Amino acid sequence: MSAAATAAKLEAIAVVERSPGYWSGVLRRFRRDPVAMVALCVVVALVLMAVLAPWVAPADPYRSSMLRRLRPIGTPGFPLGTDELGRDMLSRLIHGGRLSLLMGVTPVFIAFFVGSFIGITAGYLGGKVNTILMRTVDVFFAFPSVLLAIALSGALGAGIFNGLLSLSIVFVPPIARIAESVTTAVRKIDYVEAARASGASAMTIIRVHVLGNVMGPIFVYATGLISVSLILASGLSFLGLGVKPPEPEWGLMLNTLRNAIYVQPWVAALPGAMIFITSISFNLLSDGLRSAMDIKA
Amino acid sequence: MTAAAPLLQVTDLRRHFPLKGGFLGRGAGVVRAVDGITFDVAEGETLGIVGESGCGKSTTARLLVDLITPDSGTIALGGRRLGVDLTLKELRRQVQMVFQDSYASLNPRLTMEEAIAFGPMVNGVPAMAATGLAHELLRKVGLEPKRFAGRYPHELSGGQRQRVNIARALAFKPKVVILDEAVSALDKSVEAQVLNLLGDLKRELGLTYVFISHDLNVVRYMSDRVMVMYLGEVAEIGPVDAIYARPTHPYTRALLAAMPSMDPDKLTREAPLAGDPPNPINPPSGCRFHTRCRHAADVCGQRSPGLYALPSARHLAACHMAIPGSGHPEAAARLEAAE
Repeated sequence: MSAAATAAKLEAIAVVERSPGYWSGVLRRFRRDPVAMVALCVVVALVLMAVLAPWVAPADPYRSSMLRRLRPIGTPGFPLGTDELGRDMLSRLIHGGRLSLLMGVTPVFIAFFVGSFIGITAGYLGGKVNTILMRTVDVFFAFPSVLLAIALSGALGAGIFNGLLSLSIVFVPPIARIAESVTTAVRKIDYVEAARASGASAMTIIRVHVLGNVMGPIFVYATGLISVSLILASGLSFLGLGVKPPEPEWGLMLNTLRNAIYVQPWVAALPGAMIFITSISFNLLSDGLRSAMDIKA
Repeated sequence: MTAAAPLLQVTDLRRHFPLKGGFLGRGAGVVRAVDGITFDVAEGETLGIVGESGCGKSTTARLLVDLITPDSGTIALGGRRLGVDLTLKELRRQVQMVFQDSYASLNPRLTMEEAIAFGPMVNGVPAMAATGLAHELLRKVGLEPKRFAGRYPHELSGGQRQRVNIARALAFKPKVVILDEAVSALDKSVEAQVLNLLGDLKRELGLTYVFISHDLNVVRYMSDRVMVMYLGEVAEIGPVDAIYARPTHPYTRALLAAMPSMDPDKLTREAPLAGDPPNPINPPSGCRFHTRCRHAADVCGQRSPGLYALPSARHLAACHMAIPGSGHPEAAARLEAAE
C-alpha cells in the first residue's frame, strides 16, 4: 500500500460519524439518577474523610482522659462527645473510617479478581473444568458467610491481615458463581460463535467478546458486597478477631461502647450509624450502577 | 450451474448429542440431531436446506463450520478433507456463516467496523488495513461507512444488522457462505432487499451458498438445488424444479402442500401433516417418516430406504415407494407414474 493510499484511508476513517460508546451512556443515565448521585457523593465524602483523617480530625483519636469519660453529644470541644476512655468521638469516627473502609473494600476487590478469574474460566471452558471449579467453590458456599469468616479468622488468628484474608476467601464463591453464570450465558450467544468461526483463540475471544459483556454485571454485584464486607469486618472486630484496641475501627468501637449504652445511648450508637450510612450508600450506589448499565437497546 | 465439480462434499456426517442424567450421566440416550447425511455443493451453486424445526438444519450448518465437532463423517472442500489435507483454520477462512438472530450475532460493545475487522485482525491483518477492509465491505453491503462504521448494534435496524453480519462473513473472502435462517427474522420487505443483496454478492464474488430456511418460497427463489431433511436424515435432494414440480418423498409433498397458496384453485383444504415430528432421542425404526406417512406399508417400519437415485438427473429420495422391488405395494406403480 502506497503512502498516499494509506493517508487517504486514514482520512476516510477519521471522518466516520461515531456514536457515543456504551460507558458514556451509562454515565449519562447514572447522572440522571438522584438517589445514586447522592449515594456516590456520600461514598466520596467518606473516602475523602478517611484518606484525609489526620488533617480533618480535630483531636488526637488516641488521647484519653479519665476526667472526661462519656460526655454527651454537643459538649464544648467534643462535638460528638467522648468514649468510655474519654477520647474524642468525632476524631475516632473519622480515623475509624480508614480501617473500616479498608476492611470493607479490600476483600471485595481481591475477591472480584479471583472470583471473576475462576468464574469466567469455568463458564467459558465448561464441561469438566466447570464441574471441578464450581463444585469446589460450592463447598465454601455451603457455609453461612458469617460463620465462615469467623472460623477462618479464628483459625488464622486475630489481626487486620488475617481478617482481610478470611473475608476475601468468604467473597470469592459468590462472585465466582455470578461470573460463571454470566459467562455461560454470554458464551452461548451467536457473536461468540461467530468469533469462534473466525478462528480466534479462546484468550482473544474472552478478551474482546466476553470480558466487556460480563465485567459489568460482576462489578455491580461486587459493589453490593462491599456493604456486607463492611458489616462482616465490623462483626469480626466486635468479636475481637479483626482490629485490636486501641485502634479506632467502627465495629470495635461499637463493641467497647456497648457497656455505655445505658449511660450515653446516642454516643454509643454513633459507630453503628456510620456503618449503616456507609453500607447503605454502597448498596444504593450498586443499585444505581445496575439500573444505569441495564439496557437492551 | 450443473456439471461443475463439487466444492463442498459432506459424507455420512453424524452428530449425536448425549443426554445428561441417569446414573453418573450414562444410559440416558442420545439425540440423533444429524444422523448420517451425505450431500455435495457445486461451486457457484446455492443449496437450499428445508425441514421442520428440530430436523437438524442448524446442527448441519454448525457442523460445516466446525462450531460443533462431528462424531463421524467427513467434510471436504475442493477435494481436500478436513483433518487430512485441510486445516481447520483454512476451512474457517473458506466457509463462513451468517446467523439467524442479527442482534445476538453482534457484540453490543463493538462498533460495526470493529465487529467486521475482528476476524481479519485475529488472522494477522494489521488494524489499519482491517478497518479499511471493514469500510470497503460496509459499502459493498449497501451501508455508507461514514454513517455506519462507528455505530453500535442497537442503533441499527434488523436488516442493517444482517447486512453487517454478511459483511463480517465476507471479510475472509470465503468461497462458501452458510446462511442459517439468515433472513427469517426480517420483515418481508427487508427480507427481499437482503435476498437481492445476497444474489448480487454471489454473482460479483462468485460465492457458493448453503441456504437454510423453513420458508419454502424463499428457498425456491434462492436455490439451484434443494435438500429436504427429516429427523436428522436427508429425505430428498435434487434440483429445485424437480423438487417443487415432481416431489417424490411423501414428506416433501406434505411440506409443499402446506405452503400457503395465492391461487384459489390450489387452496390448502386439509392439514397435510398432523402432529409434531417424533422424538429424535428415539426415532422410529425403518423409514423415520413412516409414523406420519399416509402411504406407510410394512416394509417402511422394517427397513430404512436409504437415498435412491431417481431416473431424473441428480434427484435422490429416501422412500421405498421410489425404489423398484423394495416390497412396498405402491413402488412399481409410482415409478411408472414418475416416468
